[in-house]
Amino acid sequence: MENLAQLGAGIAIGFGAIGAGLGIGIATKGLMDAVSRQPEVAGKAFGFFLLGAALAEACALYAFVIAFQLLGK
Amino acid sequence: MEHWVYTFQIAGHSASVNLDTIFTMWFAMFCLIVFAFIATRKLSLIPNKLQAVCEKAMGMLWGTMDTMMPPDNRKHVPLVASLFLFILFANLMGQLPLRIIHLKQGELASPTNDINLTAAMAIIVLVYYVGAGVKQKGFKFFLHNFSFVGIVNALVELLEMITRPLSLAIRLFANIFAGEILVSIVLAASAYFAPLPVMLFEILVAFIQATVFMMLTIAYVGSATSEEH
Repeated sequence: MENLAQLGAGIAIGFGAIGAGLGIGIATKGLMDAVSRQPEVAGKAFGFFLLGAALAEACALYAFVIAFQLLGK
Repeated sequence: MEHWVYTFQIAGHSASVNLDTIFTMWFAMFCLIVFAFIATRKLSLIPNKLQAVCEKAMGMLWGTMDTMMPPDNRKHVPLVASLFLFILFANLMGQLPLRIIHLKQGELASPTNDINLTAAMAIIVLVYYVGAGVKQKGFKFFLHNFSFVGIVNALVELLEMITRPLSLAIRLFANIFAGEILVSIVLAASAYFAPLPVMLFEILVAFIQATVFMMLTIAYVGSATSEEH
């Protein structure tokens, strides 16, 4: 039973990371678009990018919390 | 990653507190209070270095409030600024070598790796923004115009009162907690030099998470007090 819980933890963090990776990728694409179109907004856009990336990354961390709960620690 | 849990009896019920979290929380608050006390002595028109830094930080917070909220927003600065500074100090404390002090259980790391603390802060934000909205608009804060869309909106907002604090609390807690586990895993692989880039990344995460918590607080309070709500 414990092995199954470990398998579940791995699946949870894996699928969570898919979403976060996609989100950060799209955010980076948006940053690149904005900077190549208007190089003078680079500093301001980078701040918003970090904010959005942190929000997207949080989804993977929810999965991480679930995985940790499954491992029972 | 276990906490030093102290259980006691109060009125027939058993309650438990995490002593290491309480200690590190008070340590962060103590640092912040001493910093604020030193920074506000001998204020002068021509600022010295410390005063210039503090004025710059306050100007940054005011600028953020001014861009993200309707006017008459500076009355919300005390909550937002203290949340930001406390979370920043608390996150950065995790990179201090406090862990070499051995406790009976647990370890001295950043207090935000305990979900109780972040949940308490999230509940404070919930109470504050609901209170600000009710103060601004009275009981109409909970109501919308009487139509299908209005009823759905009102129900969604009731749901948001649960999901917003939940996501605020888990986001901050999980970021700091995952960072500490990452550092400890790299530390187990190699004790020298390998953890340094990870710890530098954790310092970046500390700043970003404090900013995210502040920004979301501003957004919630702003949406609760704005007219078109």
